Amino acid sequence: MSKIDIKNLVKYFGPQKILHGIDISISKGEFCVLVGPSGCGKSTTLRMVAGLETISGGEIIIGDRVVNGLKPRERGIAMVFQNYALYPAKTVYNNMAFSLQLSRINKNIIDEKVREVAKILDITDLLDRKPATLSGGQRQRVAMGRAIVRDPEVFLFDEPLSNLDAQLRGQMRAEIKLLHQRLKNTVIYVTHDQVEAMTLADKIVIMKDGRIEQQGTPDDVFHNPQTLFVASFMGSPPMNLISAKILKDGIKIKNSEINFKKSSNLKIDKSIIFGIRADDIRLSEEDKSGIPVKGFVNLVEQLGTENLAHFNVGENNFIGKTNARAKLKLNKEYSFNFNMKHAYFFDPETGARIS
Amino acid sequence: MRSAIIADLKKDMQKILNNISNESVPYLFLLPCLLILGSLLSVPLYKVVEYSLYDNVIVQKNPSFVGLQNYKEILSDTAFWKATLNTIIFTVGSVIGHLIIGTSLALLVNTDINPKARTLFRSLLILPWIFTAVVVAVNWQLLLNPFGIINYGLDKLGIISEPLDWLGDPSLAMWSLLLISTWRGYPFIMVSFLSGLQSIPKELYEAAEIDGAGFFGKFWHVTIPQLKPVIYGVALLDLIWTFQLFPLVWLTTGGGPGRTTEVLSTMTFRYAFVNFEFSQASTVAVSILIISAAFTIFYLRNEKSKI
Repeated sequence: MSKIDIKNLVKYFGPQKILHGIDISISKGEFCVLVGPSGCGKSTTLRMVAGLETISGGEIIIGDRVVNGLKPRERGIAMVFQNYALYPAKTVYNNMAFSLQLSRINKNIIDEKVREVAKILDITDLLDRKPATLSGGQRQRVAMGRAIVRDPEVFLFDEPLSNLDAQLRGQMRAEIKLLHQRLKNTVIYVTHDQVEAMTLADKIVIMKDGRIEQQGTPDDVFHNPQTLFVASFMGSPPMNLISAKILKDGIKIKNSEINFKKSSNLKIDKSIIFGIRADDIRLSEEDKSGIPVKGFVNLVEQLGTENLAHFNVGENNFIGKTNARAKLKLNKEYSFNFNMKHAYFFDPETGARIS
Repeated sequence: MRSAIIADLKKDMQKILNNISNESVPYLFLLPCLLILGSLLSVPLYKVVEYSLYDNVIVQKNPSFVGLQNYKEILSDTAFWKATLNTIIFTVGSVIGHLIIGTSLALLVNTDINPKARTLFRSLLILPWIFTAVVVAVNWQLLLNPFGIINYGLDKLGIISEPLDWLGDPSLAMWSLLLISTWRGYPFIMVSFLSGLQSIPKELYEAAEIDGAGFFGKFWHVTIPQLKPVIYGVALLDLIWTFQLFPLVWLTTGGGPGRTTEVLSTMTFRYAFVNFEFSQASTVAVSILIISAAFTIFYLRNEKSKI
């Protein structure tokens, strides 16, 4: 277990700059998730920590060693790949034992370790099988087993769950979390799935175009987004983001107004982006906190535990939440309560939050 | 009631007829090809086997049927056994040479270097395969000539003190032949392995690297197991081809000096077109056929198990 410091990390692919100076500090035993859309540089960052990509600039420090010039095997890391990368010709046992065999450890010790880890992951029955005969979830377990056996200082996960179906993904997600609570290793985990990021992370790093948009606890990035991108990326359904203009006692949106007591740092006539999460828009009959706004419902999505109501205010589409038992009729006007305490305002040009 | 049954019957008949015509359509398309291949293959095949059972075929109008007499003679002929042994040495030696050189070069041209240089090397290294056997044979004859450039070079380097007759010296001829055959045949292995190498997922090498494998570790634990199906198939195919290889041997050593490089294919040719003993030639040809067929069955089984 070690802390990891990534300092001003830069990566060029040819003339193209992929990473523009990444700074992340991960403490001992912390579960850090790098999240962002594809092409944001999260996987490249991970692969640079692993030693699979060269470093164009900056430093990576694992424990108290600068690992820039070290080979992957010298870095004390283990990695779980997106497509598992199990050796097809080796049995599960030998897949897991391979790294230990290479370091010429006593056979009995290897056997003991492999069986112990297999027990933890509940794959003892599979030890004699070849990867091709395993299901996706089983392969994922073996890939994790291969990493755990080495007892590394740092675990690296590169989108490990994206090849699994939704149900299995949820299950494996929980298992990874439990495993981390048990082993307490330092983890860097890359995903494009914000739900995975929220559920697993101690620390989330949200990246976009080779830059860090925001980093912090899941709670922090979700409830306190510092940029428009973070606000739109985190959360499902995505935050309602509407172009608006500040009025004296509220905001003007396309063909309508929302009136509320605005804070003093919102200057009148300024163009802004108004953001509010679906959770903070409730059917007025159900929840009266906040200010009521009338809208025409045009779509209801049933999620089972609750419903998402899509409705128009003026020419603006909002998504709000209702009780699962609420029977909303389409094209009918309903009153929704907007909890303005949890509204966000962003600068449309810079994307920065106006607090 | 009855008319309903008849209508049903009619429907069933129609169905069966439809099925037949549907199923026969693909065979109809295959027919021309099957006819041509069949006549081109089966007639000569039949003729060769037939000739091997007669005496004095072709040269006399009324050859006499002798049964397995030709086989008895061939099998008790030491020259035949010498040629068989030579064929095995030549075939196995060539295939091993192809595999070693082909694999090494495939690994080399698969490395991550300047793409232009890589393409250049790949194209250059395939060249031996493109030349016809005659050109290859004549070129190597000139190169290996006692007054050729190889002797000159080795002499200048001080490795040999007098020119060697590479193709004419009984102790060197087979080795020289193996050198030529290796040079000529490695590109097939190289190209096959190269495509095999390119289909190995990059992640496996990365995983091995993280697990602590070096160059040889990665080669042994990732490359070889992943290439295994290709290696097996390609080596068998090479074995089948080399086993019956004729022009390269005939045009370089002609089976000589003496009979030191005589292989079954050159023996067949010598019987047929030098000695005009077509029955004996056919008999040797049938023995080649039997052994090749055995290899081919192995190959086909291997291919089948891959599916």
